[in-house]
Amino acid sequence: MASDLTVPDDAAATKLSAVISSRIGAWFNVGFFIRAGSLLGFVLVIAYFAVAAPGFLSVGNITNVLEQSAILGVLSFGMTIVMIAGGSNVITGGIDLSIANNLGLSAAVYAVLLKTGQPEGVALSLTILTGLGVGLLNAIAVVAIGILPLIATLTVMNICAGFELVITQNTVLQASSPLLAVLAGDGPFGIATLAYVLLFVALILIVVIEYTPFGLRLYAVGGFREAALAAGLSVQRYIAISYILSGLCGSLGAVLSVALLSGSSTGSGDMLLSVVVTALLGVVFSRRVVPTISGSLLSVLFIGFLINGFQLTNISSYWVNGVEGLLILFAVATTSLVKRGDS
Amino acid sequence: MTTDTSSAPASETVAQWVRRSSALRYTVVLAFLLVFAFLSVKAPGFLTVSNFVNILVNNFTILAIVSLAMTLVLLTGGIDLSVGTAIDLASLLFISLISAHQSFLVAIAGGLLGALATGGFNAFLIGGLRIAPFLATLGTLFIGESVQQLATNGGQPIYLITGTLAPAFIYVGHGVFFGIPFPLCLAIGLTAIFYLLTERTSFGRNAVALGANPNVAWYSGARVRSTSGLVYGLSAVTCGVAGIILSATIKAYVPLSGNAYILDAIGATFIGTTLHSEGRPGVLGTTLGVLLLSIVTNGLLLIGWNFYWQQVGTGVLIFFVLAMSFLGRRLRG
Repeated sequence: MASDLTVPDDAAATKLSAVISSRIGAWFNVGFFIRAGSLLGFVLVIAYFAVAAPGFLSVGNITNVLEQSAILGVLSFGMTIVMIAGGSNVITGGIDLSIANNLGLSAAVYAVLLKTGQPEGVALSLTILTGLGVGLLNAIAVVAIGILPLIATLTVMNICAGFELVITQNTVLQASSPLLAVLAGDGPFGIATLAYVLLFVALILIVVIEYTPFGLRLYAVGGFREAALAAGLSVQRYIAISYILSGLCGSLGAVLSVALLSGSSTGSGDMLLSVVVTALLGVVFSRRVVPTISGSLLSVLFIGFLINGFQLTNISSYWVNGVEGLLILFAVATTSLVKRGDS
Repeated sequence: MTTDTSSAPASETVAQWVRRSSALRYTVVLAFLLVFAFLSVKAPGFLTVSNFVNILVNNFTILAIVSLAMTLVLLTGGIDLSVGTAIDLASLLFISLISAHQSFLVAIAGGLLGALATGGFNAFLIGGLRIAPFLATLGTLFIGESVQQLATNGGQPIYLITGTLAPAFIYVGHGVFFGIPFPLCLAIGLTAIFYLLTERTSFGRNAVALGANPNVAWYSGARVRSTSGLVYGLSAVTCGVAGIILSATIKAYVPLSGNAYILDAIGATFIGTTLHSEGRPGVLGTTLGVLLLSIVTNGLLLIGWNFYWQQVGTGVLIFFVLAMSFLGRRLRG
């Protein structure tokens, strides 16, 4: 940073050039190149598949990807919020491992309520309440009791998985309703409703998290907890809110999932790893090396296009997990590189 | 609330400190006794020798071995999410080599090498590239899933034809050593080895120092990075042993089956941390934690709880024990 430069007082010209070069240096440092490189990589991957797979960039295919990414996107946003408020230290910082099974449980609740003939409003509110409940449980465990987020959410994840199995008996519960039909269908311009939902939710969250005082305080709490405390912020409350919001995202994702799959599914927990990947990868796309909603959106779309490209070019889907693993390692290695480069 | 509990407290806090630290410290022992008593009364067939042997062999053995590995890793302040991967890769290579009519020893070596590869990869990421253990082992977990899916063309288990198995193979899974089933002997032996390793060797001391305060460990000259790397290698090889025992017992390799142990191993280790005065992971605590989880699983089954309710029950139990542990730490300041 410019403050570390010692400049001879007698040479005003040297001072000016030093300031200018440090300013330029601040723009074009290691971080910039890594972020630019990642964006470039994103574009290159898209370009490759556009060439290798005809129809990749068709409107139909793009909306297909957006539709498939909606659920992962919503979950990723929830995870991102928790990471923002909790801080970046992976062991002691914020993470919500229960979000995928929260979706599973909420989807099971939603499906079973619809199946047993409950009205849409009741089913929907109870589903949202389930998600909020799980979020609240996480909040209590982490904030009130003080269990490490990693362990707390791991345990809650287990509990959610158990309850989900109790409700579904490890079967798929079919469900349908007018709302679900609308969600699963197409919206204006022939683009899937879920695609609109994804973009809409992303837009709202980007505004709230990145352009409001609330969002700023979330970042403050996660970035430097002691400073936030000293500034008078109720750190506990913000962290608790982040977990509750994550729970809400889980139940929202559940509604979308039931719409897409016409029922509950047994494999929701498998999504967790992808959620973590996208939230972490999102950090690479941000200028301040922090989790961001827009970064997570980009990562979700990246993964979505990648998987879609694999399918269209007949690359076995068994490579997907490995690629996601490598992406995690890439994201982590580059973020620590960027951090070291900036300091 | 004092932040420095190690310096000699003022006179009025000594008794309070002792009382506070001991009370919640033995929660897990109390919990174990309570659950045991409850199950003795409520679960038909619980209090029989054959049931205890059943618990020890079927519920305890594999989880105990995996939890030992997890304890070592958690001691150094890290975490190993790829223990399942080590189990599965060892299992994959072991069963594949036996299937290909290789000798038993070659198969064992292959299995352990598979596990070592996992551990080596982790060691490289964590010790070499300084990536956070959670993320590094998460990456390994992912990559391991891909490897297994590709190797088995989508997750097909590999079954062994039972007619042509070497006696040594049968012994590993079902043999008896002085009246105790061989897998259980291995578990007990490994527990003893890990106890000695963590409590009585300088390697163990370095590992503990690393977890307690990495900076101090670094400045005191301890071989921080190589200790860290070795720990992940050791963890993986230990899980490899578990994988070999597991596949020898069921005479098959089931892809991705090792991942089921991750949560319980972490749970057992954290249950075990409640036993230590400073909340540190330890072999004794972990063993008690595994025993607790084992009798709960067994007991709920005997009571007749639906298999899915068992998972809820175990999860809630771990939650409560963790809550006690962390609340205890909070009260102690």
